[in-house]
Amino acid sequence: MGAPVSLRAEGTLLHHLEMAAPGALIGAVAGLFAMGVGMMAGLPPALTGTVALALGGPLALLGAVYCVLLARDVFPVGAVAPLALYWLVGFPLARLFDSHAVAWVMGGPALREPLLSFLALQAMLSFGFTIGFLWLHERIAPHWLLRIRGHNPVAEALFQRYLVHAVHMDRRRAERRARRGRPGSPA
Amino acid sequence: MDSSRPDPGDNPTNDPAPSGTRRPHIPSPRTPHPAESDVPAVAGVSAGDGVPVTEAPPDSEAPPDTDPTRTAQAEEERYWKAGRLEPMPIRKLPKAPPSIHILGPTVFLVALGVGMGESYMWPRLVLVFGPEIRWLFLIGVSLQAVVMLEMSRYAMATGESIFYGAARVFKPLMWFFFVTAILVYIWPGHLSAGASAFEKVTGVPWQITAVAGMLLVGVVFTLAKVIYNLLENVLSICIGLLVVGTSVVAAMVGNLSDLTSTVTGMFAFGYLPDEAMTAAWFPIIVGSIAFAGPSGMQQMWYTLHLRDKGAGMGAHIPQIRGLRHAGDQEAMPSRGFMFDTSDPEEMEKWRGWRRWVSFDAMVLFWGITMLVTVSFTVLAQSAARFDPQVAELIRAGDRDASLDAMAGAFSAAGSPVLGTVFFLFIALIGINATLGLFDSFSRGQADMTYNFVPGAKKMGMAKLYGMFLWGLIAFGIVILLFGPADGPAAILDVLAFLSAFAMGAYCVVLLLVNNLTLPRPIRPGIVSNALIAFAALFYLGALFFSLFAFGVVVG
Repeated sequence: MGAPVSLRAEGTLLHHLEMAAPGALIGAVAGLFAMGVGMMAGLPPALTGTVALALGGPLALLGAVYCVLLARDVFPVGAVAPLALYWLVGFPLARLFDSHAVAWVMGGPALREPLLSFLALQAMLSFGFTIGFLWLHERIAPHWLLRIRGHNPVAEALFQRYLVHAVHMDRRRAERRARRGRPGSPA
Repeated sequence: MDSSRPDPGDNPTNDPAPSGTRRPHIPSPRTPHPAESDVPAVAGVSAGDGVPVTEAPPDSEAPPDTDPTRTAQAEEERYWKAGRLEPMPIRKLPKAPPSIHILGPTVFLVALGVGMGESYMWPRLVLVFGPEIRWLFLIGVSLQAVVMLEMSRYAMATGESIFYGAARVFKPLMWFFFVTAILVYIWPGHLSAGASAFEKVTGVPWQITAVAGMLLVGVVFTLAKVIYNLLENVLSICIGLLVVGTSVVAAMVGNLSDLTSTVTGMFAFGYLPDEAMTAAWFPIIVGSIAFAGPSGMQQMWYTLHLRDKGAGMGAHIPQIRGLRHAGDQEAMPSRGFMFDTSDPEEMEKWRGWRRWVSFDAMVLFWGITMLVTVSFTVLAQSAARFDPQVAELIRAGDRDASLDAMAGAFSAAGSPVLGTVFFLFIALIGINATLGLFDSFSRGQADMTYNFVPGAKKMGMAKLYGMFLWGLIAFGIVILLFGPADGPAAILDVLAFLSAFAMGAYCVVLLLVNNLTLPRPIRPGIVSNALIAFAALFYLGALFFSLFAFGVVVG
């Protein structure tokens, strides 16, 4: 793989912002999607904007933070469990913010059920959001990294981590094979 | 990062076999079929012993080789004889991708499988019988996951489709599926749900949307350089949006008790109210179990997607190109390939591929299907709570009225946004299913035609694919404009019967193909065989029980 590359490169704020784009985009999709639909449904612009911002804003922010933390090596590449924990906290908070913001604009109660029940429901559904988020992220982010790694050292470092991870997985498999000595029965 | 095909490690069509001294696995003795007798055996190697032989008929697409070194190596060419058709040359099995991968061909099964069953039929059963009925859904989807794993076994071991495998056992079996596919899938009725939902949002008449959609699909697939890569990308984004979107909307309209009852209902094993065993509901429940996840021939088509993904020995088979790039289409080998199952390194790679596909089956297929169904069930329960009339409409079984009522309930309870979002999800499901179905049908029919219709090889795979694709589109447009979209009323029951019968039939074919044509070390174990046999008994038994006891075809 040539000369060793730092897997956690220092970059400027701009570099990190650039890295955050895929996660922010996916997080914002929920809000932007709701906004487009709201416009088609003929909702007042103020309400449409509130729905889009109150839901899309926090999700986009959290998506962006995930990408930065991934680049900073806080999250391992491609792992589901840490991301599920992240959204287990983040998704209910985003929904709580959304409910209060819409109630503030439209009036009426923010929650239809007790706070704990509300948070428990959102926490359970966050797993579905996690899977969808990761699915889309793994689809979009690698293309984005390839595009920007030429001028962004943080992106280059993350790209190298993807490669190192792949090699590491190969090595682990080889070690397992060596430990076994001879193969067992076929799968 | 995972869309690339693995490097096969040797040339797909005319490279010499591995030059090592290991022999491929020696199978149990089997009398050779006359079709195999034209394969000359070499000294010390008897075809009658089932030992891979040398110098089988050369690939028709391979140029004559005059290099003496290569000719010498070619003399060591080894083959695996499977059934009555052309033996498979032994080639290297490529390495499985690292486990970091997120996507595989399962995206097609999810796209085809997450349809009306998940978004309408099962929510309906929950409203009628309660969430406890969902244990049957758990059984249905789990059975389909096992079927998926067994379908992948043959496709990854040989690079051949299950249709080819069926022909190796008994050629009429393959022709049965060829005819069934045409009879069942040529009708464009499947477009109506998605296009109708789009009509609700935009006001554009659904027939116009459906015709425009079909033409768009045809043009895009024609222009695509490699169809698989394009479709995997599009479907991945669509399904990602669907999963994210349904989670968000369920979070906005559902409540905790809806979700917990939906999830715990999956473990109420044995729950079956008396009403479920009546003529009115039994065929619907059995149909819902059978059609939980991919139904009809969708699992069989999955083997073709595995091949184009380059999974296992599929890496030795060229990908199908769009019609515009038909000139670049590499010659398709006239049969698949086998790897050396007596080589421990090859078997280790095989286990890597089994892990890869197991991840696809259990995490992506099973998990995503479950997630989407749970979300839609929560949505249906919420809609019934907001407006009790919705429950009555859903019970009555009018699909369009039910979807309208659910969207209306969301609009009333939250805002018009939610009703519109709901319709967009239905439209998204329709788009996924249509894209997947058009590609899968054309792929399957082209594969069978290319390999088994005399003279078809001259046309090439890309042109055959294009021919079936545009034939399907042209017929679909004519029927949408002038005929019955679901098929003539007189044969609707026959079509429903064939669709369900095909599922039982492919389980029997799987048992035969995997146990008769694969080398012993990679044949399915007793548990897999028992589960597939159970699936065959279940699909066929329920179909005929429903037919004879109630006089109704499952559906």
